[in-house]
Amino acid sequence: MENINLVAPEIFISLSLMSLLILGVFKENSSSVVYNLSIFTLFLSLLINLNLFSFNNLYLFNGAYKVDYLSNFMKFLIIVSGIFVMLSSSKYLKINKIFKIEYPILLLSSILGMFIMISSNDLMVFYLGLELQSLALYVLASFKRDDQLSSESGLKYFVLSALSSGLLLYGCSLIYGFSGSTNFDQISNNISGVQYGLTLGIVFILVGLAFKISAVPFHMWAPDVYQGSPTSVTIFFAILPKIAALSVFIRFLYVPFINLVDQWQTIIIFVSIASMVFGAVAAIGQKNLKRLMAYSSISHMGFALAGLSVGTNEGIQSSIIYISIYLMMNLAFFSCLFMLKRNDIYYEDLSDLSGLSKNHPILSLCLLISLFSLAGIPPLAGFFAKFYIFLAVIKEEMYFLAIVGLLSTVIAAFYYLRVIKTIYFDNQTEKFDINHDIGLKISLLVSTLIILIYFIYPSPLQTLISKIVIL
Amino acid sequence: MRTDSLMIQGIFFYIFSLIAIISAIMVTVSRNTVHSVFFLILDFVSISCLFIMSGAEFLGMIMLIVYVGAVAVLFLFVVMMLNVAQQENEWFQSKKSKEQNSSHIPIGFLISIIIFFELIIVIGGWKLKPEIFNNLDFKPIVGATNTHSIGSVLYTDYIHLFQISGMILLVSMIGAIVLTYKKRVGLKRQSYIKQISREKLSGVEIVEVEKNKGVKIDV
Repeated sequence: MENINLVAPEIFISLSLMSLLILGVFKENSSSVVYNLSIFTLFLSLLINLNLFSFNNLYLFNGAYKVDYLSNFMKFLIIVSGIFVMLSSSKYLKINKIFKIEYPILLLSSILGMFIMISSNDLMVFYLGLELQSLALYVLASFKRDDQLSSESGLKYFVLSALSSGLLLYGCSLIYGFSGSTNFDQISNNISGVQYGLTLGIVFILVGLAFKISAVPFHMWAPDVYQGSPTSVTIFFAILPKIAALSVFIRFLYVPFINLVDQWQTIIIFVSIASMVFGAVAAIGQKNLKRLMAYSSISHMGFALAGLSVGTNEGIQSSIIYISIYLMMNLAFFSCLFMLKRNDIYYEDLSDLSGLSKNHPILSLCLLISLFSLAGIPPLAGFFAKFYIFLAVIKEEMYFLAIVGLLSTVIAAFYYLRVIKTIYFDNQTEKFDINHDIGLKISLLVSTLIILIYFIYPSPLQTLISKIVIL
Repeated sequence: MRTDSLMIQGIFFYIFSLIAIISAIMVTVSRNTVHSVFFLILDFVSISCLFIMSGAEFLGMIMLIVYVGAVAVLFLFVVMMLNVAQQENEWFQSKKSKEQNSSHIPIGFLISIIIFFELIIVIGGWKLKPEIFNNLDFKPIVGATNTHSIGSVLYTDYIHLFQISGMILLVSMIGAIVLTYKKRVGLKRQSYIKQISREKLSGVEIVEVEKNKGVKIDV
């Protein structure tokens, strides 16, 4: 008998999402009940997850499912960001008339898919988790179905993602064919020497994964999907799938193929450099804040991949720290975006921020902090995130990567600073509403405080992450 | 005895293969689109017969259920709803109208030749690794049918995959409903509760009608 306790968060989420579905179908006008209960579900699963925190290197289902520090920590990040995303976006959903019972249920099922991805130690499990996650995301992207942009973004994401899934499956089949197993540990036992079939399989799978975290050259969907989908979905897109895909990156590259590090290192370095530079340069001309954040996230993913390309435990740990801080910065920024509301219309253009500081000093301060942190200016958390990455990269003497990263940080600072200039030095416009709900205020406050205070007390996060040792 | 059964098997094999090939050709050739879909169904059925003959009875049955039962019927519905049944077939009319010379045939021919050679390369270069059976996680059960062997691992070793697939299907169902279902207002709906709970007394109403005045029926 397997130790089912180890998958308790997954089982709990799937059971509760099914019962919430039944509740929502049979009870009329139960949208807000289902929504609040979903947040509660996530909260309970957070507790279950914390309860499992001390387990490491345990396998389930014939080694297809793995529970270790990495999976526990990544699930923790997923749940925390899921809770904050749901807390901050309920009013947006109500005003945009997409506050349906299916919305939180799809969010929960997507989170379930991410859990499966994070814990997977087998190509088949990983693929099914990925599909569960993305299938819910396709629907979420086009959730505002009367809106042309939203439908377009859903369709675009669906078609391109289906293509990348196809490539990924092809890679899986190649790896299975050349190594005789789909299990990550078995693959690493079975492979001997460099085989071109395996390299090809790794490349195909990396293409699929790079698509999911929108790294260059598979980023084309990101700006349109970020702009088109409802902001509450954009924030979800910007944070959660990246956490899941990054942990799959770690598991996939470092468990079965660590001996082929020379084969995949160049690819990851290329993708990382391309993402950093492209994200920084392409964001300069953007007028729409959501589009701007899409390019910014491309650039940030480049940094996270730079940490992965190193091939050491420090590299992995720096990437994980990076993604945790990235999560908080994005949460803060998008929470500010949710506050730009006037007469039930949400504004999302750069020009709408003009002169914000005169009317809303606190909101502007929060935006200032999150933008400075995104740009990587000390002593905010974003600086430390980049600092750890560069430390790990330089330790392995990969100077070119470090130099390109630094240069792209400088370029990226330009457009973040331009937003700040618009907020503080441009002409004043009309006031925005100030009656925000408590959930939004909480998520903005918490994320901003974490960014601000991280440098005083960085040790809890670091001790947690330093336990994650893959190699 | 043994040669007899082999010969009968051979006869059946050739019959099914012939039907499969002919119906595959007829799918493309036939002018009526509905007929094409019917030939497609015939093709699926004969191919599933071939599968069953070669011992892959699970694959054959799945083929029948999924392709014939679901996919082909869906095709049929689409074709019938789009009303393209009598669409003129361009493929074999290129000689009649020289101006609108159809470019389908050369391209289609080229692609089919490429696919044919790819198949040859794949089958020619394919070799079974003998050690692969030692690396497999499960040992095939000797003397069991396909369905039995698949079931014996699907519901034990791979139960989690089975469950996750169920979740994926649930999500796709929710998604399809969310994206397409529109609650239409101002529509008169049937209320079966009302219909069942109707009684004789409330069903008939005797009204004193005044002369030269209408009766208001709708309540």
